[in-house]
Amino acid sequence: MTNMNVLVAAMRCEWRILRLDPALWLVLAMILGMVAYALYNGETLVARQAAAVAAANTEEQERLAKLRKGLADIQAGRVAPPDAPFRDPRNALFVGGGSAAANVALPAQPLAITAIGQSDLYPATLRVSAGSKDTFFFADEIANPAHLLSGSFDLAFVLVFIYPLWILALTYNLVSGEREQGTLALTASCPVQVRTVMAGKLLVRAGIPMLVTVAAVFAGLALIVGGTLVSAVQPLAVLSWAMIVYGAFWAVLAAAVNGLGRDSAYNALLLVAAWIGVLLIVPSLVNAWSEARYPSPSRAEMVLAVRAASVDADRERNAALARYQDEHPQETELQRGSYRERTLRRLAVQLAATAHSEEIMAAHEAQIQRQHALAERLAYASPALLMHDALAEIAGTGRSRYRAFFAQVDRFHQEWREFFISRAQAEQMLTAGDYSHFPQFSFADNPGTGILSRVASALIGIGVPFLLLAAMAARGLRRCRVVG
Amino acid sequence: MNTVAADIAVRVVTTSGRWRVAHAVAVKELLDIYRDARFRWLAALTLLLMVCALIFSVDQVQRTDRDRAAAAQGDRQIWTAQGAKDPHVAAHFGQYAFKPQSPLALADPGIDAYVGSAVWLEAHKQNEVQFRAARDNPLSARLSSLSLAFVLQAVMPLVAIMLGFAAFSGERERGTLRQLLSLGIRPMDLLAGKGLAVVGVLVAMLLPAFIGILISCFMFADSSMFSLGDQVARLVWLALGYVLYLGGFAALALAVSALSRTSRMALVGLLGFWLINCFLVPRLMTDVVRNTLPLPTALEFRQAIAQDKKKTFGHDESHPAFVAFRDRVLKQYGVTRVEDLPVNFRGLSLREDDENGNRIFDRHFGTLQEAYYRQDLWRAAPGFVFPLLAIQPYSMGLAGSDTRGQYHFTSAAEQHRRAIQAIVSDDLIRNGRYGDSTYVAGPDLWARISAFSYRPPQAWWALSAQAVNLFVLLAWCLAAGLLAVYAVRRLRPV
Repeated sequence: MTNMNVLVAAMRCEWRILRLDPALWLVLAMILGMVAYALYNGETLVARQAAAVAAANTEEQERLAKLRKGLADIQAGRVAPPDAPFRDPRNALFVGGGSAAANVALPAQPLAITAIGQSDLYPATLRVSAGSKDTFFFADEIANPAHLLSGSFDLAFVLVFIYPLWILALTYNLVSGEREQGTLALTASCPVQVRTVMAGKLLVRAGIPMLVTVAAVFAGLALIVGGTLVSAVQPLAVLSWAMIVYGAFWAVLAAAVNGLGRDSAYNALLLVAAWIGVLLIVPSLVNAWSEARYPSPSRAEMVLAVRAASVDADRERNAALARYQDEHPQETELQRGSYRERTLRRLAVQLAATAHSEEIMAAHEAQIQRQHALAERLAYASPALLMHDALAEIAGTGRSRYRAFFAQVDRFHQEWREFFISRAQAEQMLTAGDYSHFPQFSFADNPGTGILSRVASALIGIGVPFLLLAAMAARGLRRCRVVG
Repeated sequence: MNTVAADIAVRVVTTSGRWRVAHAVAVKELLDIYRDARFRWLAALTLLLMVCALIFSVDQVQRTDRDRAAAAQGDRQIWTAQGAKDPHVAAHFGQYAFKPQSPLALADPGIDAYVGSAVWLEAHKQNEVQFRAARDNPLSARLSSLSLAFVLQAVMPLVAIMLGFAAFSGERERGTLRQLLSLGIRPMDLLAGKGLAVVGVLVAMLLPAFIGILISCFMFADSSMFSLGDQVARLVWLALGYVLYLGGFAALALAVSALSRTSRMALVGLLGFWLINCFLVPRLMTDVVRNTLPLPTALEFRQAIAQDKKKTFGHDESHPAFVAFRDRVLKQYGVTRVEDLPVNFRGLSLREDDENGNRIFDRHFGTLQEAYYRQDLWRAAPGFVFPLLAIQPYSMGLAGSDTRGQYHFTSAAEQHRRAIQAIVSDDLIRNGRYGDSTYVAGPDLWARISAFSYRPPQAWWALSAQAVNLFVLLAWCLAAGLLAVYAVRRLRPV
């Protein structure tokens, strides 16, 4: 018999045995149940975020309509212009700085329901204003912090944590079980390579939970997401590759452990220990080390710098005002508390705050990037970390897409500031024409943001230990002890 | 093994004390555990993890303390140096309150990374606490993070399982259980002895962790803000919670071992329970609670406040409520024009508006907080079956790093905000003249307004909030103990 025939025969045999094993059906039931619940849950969360975005947009439309109406009333002379600049729909500084602030949101991708990623930590929409970035960037959505700490039961959790256990449950006694039953000696006495038979067994025992999981995920997505999946062929293909590579890693790990030639109980313990190491210990050490090496910046530093800058600007404004009043004693328009003076003072303070906050936030961002870069390098120590990251990237809720989003928000903020601050500096009042030319934000998904290459390098990162373990398993199974 | 059995038999005959039997069993078990290389590895790794967790936590806590102290000092300087200005403008400029970290965050950082650390105390408005540290961390931080609480909650139960899973089934497989029972040893005494050994080892492993926290607390805690006695009291209660949590696991392991036909089945069952308890159920309950008891969105919350605030007048002097208030004040002082009032009407109206606003904030923030508590209560409810759900909030609560601790801080900060507003409005009432926009207050007023100084709650406050979870843990431990008694009563020697 050729090796291929042996392999196929071994697989057939194994399937006939396995289907009589209640453990298989238990595992399959768990796969279907958990994948369905995780997808349903992801859908609930994404729908809630979408509802929050829709509500924010409605609120924005109402706000703008009210401002437009106020402006029309003033221009038609129906109402007197307000004496407080922050109530005036014509005042560029206060309109751009708050009352007309624009909602920006990162649109969900079709596969968003598969991984919550970082999306629960950011608000569904940011309200960009002409103020300094720190005034809107740190807004948070209301969430029970204990829930953020625990994390959600999403598909990424199921695939990273539970999926390996389904595979291990069926493969931990791949060889040891046969030895304990005495059937390994029987196999070894046949004119076939034990290794090939074991490979056949592994293919069936690991392949079935893997294929059923992939099928369950696809079926669930097709049911929940429906037609839009057509536009997500590429991420879907990458998702299935990720599942196969990650599953294969755990399967060859089980084979390699079996190759050590110990009993089933020992294998089970060692595999659980490996699971704990890969999923819990290594990730927690990676995080602790990258946080200790490049500590997250203290945002208080930024707060203080912005406050100090505004105190200075305020003081400078006092001095300028005193000089002006010395030179123009008759002038009343620039008196303390007057409309014009309040606007100019606010402008001066805001410009000073912007200059300082942006400088410090850039330095903070650089520090955060260093921390992330280190964590991403260290992530190669744990396939679970790579898989977790890859799943969020595929879902569009990972770091790369958020980074791209914040970069685009930054550019939009510049544009928005430019529009309103330039008018405020020229002391121009806003007109109805200006209202229809407010800058608009729309997020452009850029295929060049490197999501694919990141996922690919993550998969290679899982593939390398896979190959090492496969070599180890092949070696171990060749010299496998036949009797206990 | 035969000699051990014989030795026990001799002891039984000579002393005929049940305690002696349990003691002998415990000593034998401890010797076995000590000789087991697998256990030595596991214990060494667990202790190493504890040391790492403590080192990283000390580094993090110290850094946070340093940053906070510098920030508080810096904000004070900016506040006092703001120069002469209209007191109400200064109130708008406001102060910042920075949250001090509880020293026991060393043991359990809890939700610290998922809540803000600084809150702006400005006029008219209760702000939310800003800057969740988790937003800056890499995605991997959501997978698992190293802390003593993680080691105690997730790793130590494994140690308990490893110590107990073969206690009875292993003896049965080796045939020694039959011998032991044939000597007339009661299964209950066997359980007592084995239980003593397992719990003894667990306590011995907890001790270095708690001593480490205690020493770090004495070395690094800010004793001007946190009383050390209070931290010790919290630590003692914390230790009690963990003993109940792990004691329950030890009892469960012994029970399952007595009930299972083979050690392998006992191990698989116990590992399955460990997985469900530590990983599946917490996330499952989080989602169930979030979906069944939803919170408002930030927008809804702010809109609801804004809706109520519309009924108050703010700076709007044409608001009907403003007119009504003005008429009331004029009547009270028996004058017809605000200019004739003996006090500054602008200050009075600011104070009135603040008081109206405070009632609104109390109602809305209070309701939100209750919604959090309700979610937390239901999430912890299945804790007597899956004890992680109870030990997690209990541990965070005693460590001062839970939602209640955060609310205690935000409430104190809000009281300080109100105190600032009251002093500033009072200054305007007494010193300002109505209609005069040039009145300014100077540095002496800013200096008179104290900096925010936070008194963290006492241990009993945290404990009373966590009493339910303590009872749940007690119930878990008792239930597991009863299961062990039940299992051992029907112990079959073969």
